Amino acid sequence: MTLQGPDIGAVIFAETSDSHLIELPFGLGEWKLPTGWKLFGLDVSPTKHVVFMLVAAALVFLTIWYAGRQVQRRHAQGRAPGGFGAGVEALVLFVRNDVAVANIGHGGERFAPYVLTLFFFILYCNLLGLFPWGATATGNLAVTGALALTAFLTIEVSGLVALGPKGYLKTIVFVPPGMKGLGAVLMALIMTPIEIIGKLVKPFALCLRLFANMTAGHFVVFALLGLIFLFGNWGVAAGSVAFVTFMMLLELLVAFLQAYIFALLTSVFIGMMQHAH
Amino acid sequence: MSLPALLLAVQEGGAEGGGGSPFDINPGLMIWTVVVFLVLLVLLWKFGWPALLKSVEERERRIQHQLDEAEKARAEAAQLLEQQRRGLEQARAEAQEILAKAKAVATQEREVLLARTREEQEQLLDRARREIDAEKEKAILALRKEAVDLAIAAASRLIEEKLDDEANRRLVLEYLASLEQRP
Repeated sequence: MTLQGPDIGAVIFAETSDSHLIELPFGLGEWKLPTGWKLFGLDVSPTKHVVFMLVAAALVFLTIWYAGRQVQRRHAQGRAPGGFGAGVEALVLFVRNDVAVANIGHGGERFAPYVLTLFFFILYCNLLGLFPWGATATGNLAVTGALALTAFLTIEVSGLVALGPKGYLKTIVFVPPGMKGLGAVLMALIMTPIEIIGKLVKPFALCLRLFANMTAGHFVVFALLGLIFLFGNWGVAAGSVAFVTFMMLLELLVAFLQAYIFALLTSVFIGMMQHAH
Repeated sequence: MSLPALLLAVQEGGAEGGGGSPFDINPGLMIWTVVVFLVLLVLLWKFGWPALLKSVEERERRIQHQLDEAEKARAEAAQLLEQQRRGLEQARAEAQEILAKAKAVATQEREVLLARTREEQEQLLDRARREIDAEKEKAILALRKEAVDLAIAAASRLIEEKLDDEANRRLVLEYLASLEQRP
């Protein structure tokens, strides 16, 4: 029997992209999601990534809620922190103090809930993609784009509130201090598009970075597994599996790292806008 | 499952699941993302973070309070120790003073006693001397009397031998005169 090699590229694209089908574990078959939902002419029918986002959101909420209850109970009983709550608490405090407050500066506590939610939501989405039969919602440009969009709005609106309309305008129409007359007009004409591009590039980079990091790891894993089917050789299979195991561990690190970086950079950008004067 | 069967399964999955490339952007998914994220944000903002952070902050405050208390107690203990030490030093100084005073008093007393003793000794000596003088005087008188008696006895013997011997008589008188001259 001659084997016809599968189209590895198509498989990789199919596995990492969104779809209306969810493969259920343990031979339970597939779950066909409803299609045809419309909102203002847009197709908003749920997809695999929507479901995994919902699962991630639910898990984040359960984690924080349960940890909060536990910490509160232990606190009320006058006992030292410990257990699951203490672990979550350490992570929460790290993100709050060393990511949000440290980079936003004074008044950073107000943004802490947003940065924390961002961190945990992205982290859980990333981690869900590492499970068998899982899907990485953060490996989808629409998802990272929407997250970057909320970050963009948070950065700009918080800047507008903190600086006032006049101060905020200065972050767009930039005139070097001390320049007057024609020079100032010229500088403003040159610098304004650059400032606007600068504002847009930041969330764009956030969006692409998260998407690329989450997708690239999966691509490598699939490509390594694809080698097995290209060669049909047990030796290659053993090597591939070893590499894939390593890649999965690396992806575990990347899942935490990218959630951290997204939260960190968002905090940095918010801080830059807060103290732009 | 043998390798060929696996291959077939993978091929099928690839063909069937095909939802396009990962670079497609689905606007509906963006709406979903924003909605899910905002709902999660609101829920956590209301029910998640406050519970956790409030307890943590309260605990921070409690621990800070305990630390402050401990610091206060330490300061108090240090102050008490200092006080104690000062008291001890004071007591020691007092003892030293008392000792010095006692020594001074003792020295003075000794001086006084010594002076008095010396004076008494002087008096005693004086009296003794005076008594010796008196005794001497008495002894001289007694001796003189004895001498006169002896002289008289001698004289009477002489007189018995040689009465009215003018020369002998003069001799006795001279002898008596020489006695007189002697102290």
